[in-house]
Amino acid sequence: MTRLEKVFNQKETKNKVLVTYTVAGDPNLGSSKKILNDLIASGADILEIGVPFSDPMSEGPVIQKAHERALKKNIQFKDILNLCKQIRIKNKNVPIVLMGYMNSFLSLKNKLAKELNQVGVDGVIVVDLPYDESKSFFNNLKKENIDLIRLISPTTDYKRLKRMLASSSGYLYYVSLKGITGAELKNFNEVKNKVKKIKSLTNLPVVVGFGIKDAPTAKKMSSFSDGIVVGTKIIDFIEKKSIPKISNFTKSLKKAIN
Amino acid sequence: MKYKNLNNYAFPDKEGRFGEFGGKYVSETLITALEELEKVYAKVKKDKSFQEEVIKDLNDFVGRPSPLYFAERWTKKLGGAKIYLKREDLNHTGAHKINNTVGQVLLAKKMGKKRVIAETGAGQHGVATATVAARHGLECIIFMGEEDIERQALNVYRMKLLGAEVCSVDSGTKTLKDAMNEAMRDWVTNVEDTHYIIGSVAGPHPYPEIVRDFNSIVGKELKIQSKKEFGKYPDIIVACVGGGSNAMGIFHPFIKETKTKLVGVEAGGSGVKSGKHAAPLSDGKVGVLHGMKTYLMQDKNGQILSTHSVSAGLDYPGVGPEHAYLRDIGRVEYQSATDQQALKSFHDLTKTEGIMPALETSHALAYVNKIAPKLSKSKTIVINLSGRGDKDMFTVAKEDGMTL
Repeated sequence: MTRLEKVFNQKETKNKVLVTYTVAGDPNLGSSKKILNDLIASGADILEIGVPFSDPMSEGPVIQKAHERALKKNIQFKDILNLCKQIRIKNKNVPIVLMGYMNSFLSLKNKLAKELNQVGVDGVIVVDLPYDESKSFFNNLKKENIDLIRLISPTTDYKRLKRMLASSSGYLYYVSLKGITGAELKNFNEVKNKVKKIKSLTNLPVVVGFGIKDAPTAKKMSSFSDGIVVGTKIIDFIEKKSIPKISNFTKSLKKAIN
Repeated sequence: MKYKNLNNYAFPDKEGRFGEFGGKYVSETLITALEELEKVYAKVKKDKSFQEEVIKDLNDFVGRPSPLYFAERWTKKLGGAKIYLKREDLNHTGAHKINNTVGQVLLAKKMGKKRVIAETGAGQHGVATATVAARHGLECIIFMGEEDIERQALNVYRMKLLGAEVCSVDSGTKTLKDAMNEAMRDWVTNVEDTHYIIGSVAGPHPYPEIVRDFNSIVGKELKIQSKKEFGKYPDIIVACVGGGSNAMGIFHPFIKETKTKLVGVEAGGSGVKSGKHAAPLSDGKVGVLHGMKTYLMQDKNGQILSTHSVSAGLDYPGVGPEHAYLRDIGRVEYQSATDQQALKSFHDLTKTEGIMPALETSHALAYVNKIAPKLSKSKTIVINLSGRGDKDMFTVAKEDGMTL
C-alpha cells in the first residue's frame, strides 16, 4: 500500500484528510523546512509542496508572491528534492506531493521520476498539464510508482471525467471554483453536487481545494469530500511574517474537519 | 531535420500540434472553453457567410488589400536586389494586428460572449482589440505590463479613448509575458462570458491556427500582387518575429512554394551572444509556457528568463509553435538583428522612403539592409512592413538622446 493509500484508508475511522500547500523555499529554505515539519506536527496529513515558477499562471496574488520570494532566494530544483529528502528522513509516513508547472518538471527530463522516487515524493500535480497532454508523463511516473494527481474543475464535463478517471491514481483534486488560487468561494451547493457526482464514478478519494480559508468552510467542504486543501491562507501568514501562527491555524482546521 | 516534401503540409494535426510543438497545456478549467472555440472555429472556417463577413470588414473597416510598394530609392541605395514592402502599416490602427482581431471578435459574437480580453506588449494588439470591441459594443479589458505602459503611453491613451479598460500588470518582469499570465488568470475566472483574443500565433491550440488563418490574408494578397507586379512569387520574404503573427501571416501561403525563401528575424537585443535579447529560436530550448510547447528562453531549472529588446512587441521569451516546427524542418530560416541595427534601419527607411516603420518591423529591415547589397538586381525581396512607427517616437527620441 502506498503512503497516499494509507492516509486515505483512515476513512474507516471517518477521519477527513487535511492537505496543506506551501511553496518550497518560501520565505527561504530553512524556514520552509521548519514550516513543513510544523504543519505535520499540527495535523497536516498530506504535504503539497509548490515548485516555484517564474510564471505561475493559475495562482492568485498571495501565492504568486510566494513563488517570487522563493525565486529571489534562487531556489533550484535540486534544493526542492533535498528539502523533500530531509522531510522524509524525519517522517516516514506523510505523503509528499509536488505541485507545479510543466516547464519545471520538464527541466529534469527523463530523470524526473527516478529522482522524485529517491527522495520519497509520492505524487505530482502539474497545473498546466491537462489529461489530454499527459499520457507519456503519466506512464513515466507510474514506472516509479509516483501518482499523477488529476485536477478536476467545475467545467469538466461528464464524458471527459470518465476518460480521466480511467488513468487516475492517488487522489483527485476538485478545484472548487472557476478562477485562481485564493479566490472567493461562492457556490457551495454546486461544489457539493459535483463532488458527489465524481464520487459516484470512482473509488478514488476526492479532496476539495481553492478558496478554503477558514475552519467553518473547511468543515462544510469536508462534510461531503474526503478532505480539503488549504494554501493561500497559510502563505498569507508567511507573507505577513506571522509564521508562528500557522500551527494554531492548522490545528483549528484539523479539528473542524474531524 | 530537413524537409523533403511539403505538398502535404497540413498543420496543426488533430491534437493541435505542429510536429512536437503546440498542444494545449492549460489548466483543466480552460479545456472546455478551448474545445468550444475549436468546434466553433472549425464550423465558421467552412461557413461562407462568416468568411464574407470577415472579408467585408477587412475591406471596408481595415482598408484592405494593403499595397505592395516598390521601395525604389532604398533599393538603389543598397544597390542589389529589388525591395518591396507589403504595407500593413497602412491598415486601420496602423499594423497587421487588426487582421486577427476583426476575425476573432466575430468569433466571440458567434459564441455569444459579451466581454473580450487581450494581452498587449507594444500596445498594437491592445489597440486593435479595443477598436473592434468598440465597433461591436463589447466590454474590453486589456492587460499590459507596467514597463510597457510607460514606454507605450500613446497606445495606452488610444485604448482608453476607445472605451477599453487598461489593466497594469506589475508581476514578474512587468512585460508582455506577464500580461499574458494575467489575461489567462482573468479568462479562467470569467471563462463563461469572456473570449480571450490572443494577439499572436501563440498560446494553446487552437489559437496558433486561428491567428495564423486570419493573418494569412497578407500572404494571400501578396501571391496575387507579386505575380502582377513582377510576374512571379518573391525570391525572398522577410518578416520580424516576436510571437510571430505577422511573419506567419505572410509565410503561410508560401510554405509549399519552396522556391521562395522565407526568413524570420528575431530581436537580437544587445546581441545574441550577450544573453540580453528576445531570440528563442536562435538561442532557446524547448519547453512549455502559455499553453504551448515551443522554443523558450529559460534557465536550466526551466525558469523563464527576462528578455530584452528595444521594441516592446518583440520582447517575449517564446515563439509560436509553428515557427518552432518550420525552424526544425528548415523551411524558414531564422536570423536576428540587434537593437542598434534596427534603430539604424528605422532612420534609413524614414529618410529614404518617407515611411516610418515600427521598431518591430525595423528588425526585418535591418536583415534586408545586410543581404540586399549582396544579391543580384534580378532578385526580389518582400518585407512585411508590419506596422507604423508613430507609437515608437518616445523610444526612438530617448535612444537618440532627445526629450520630447
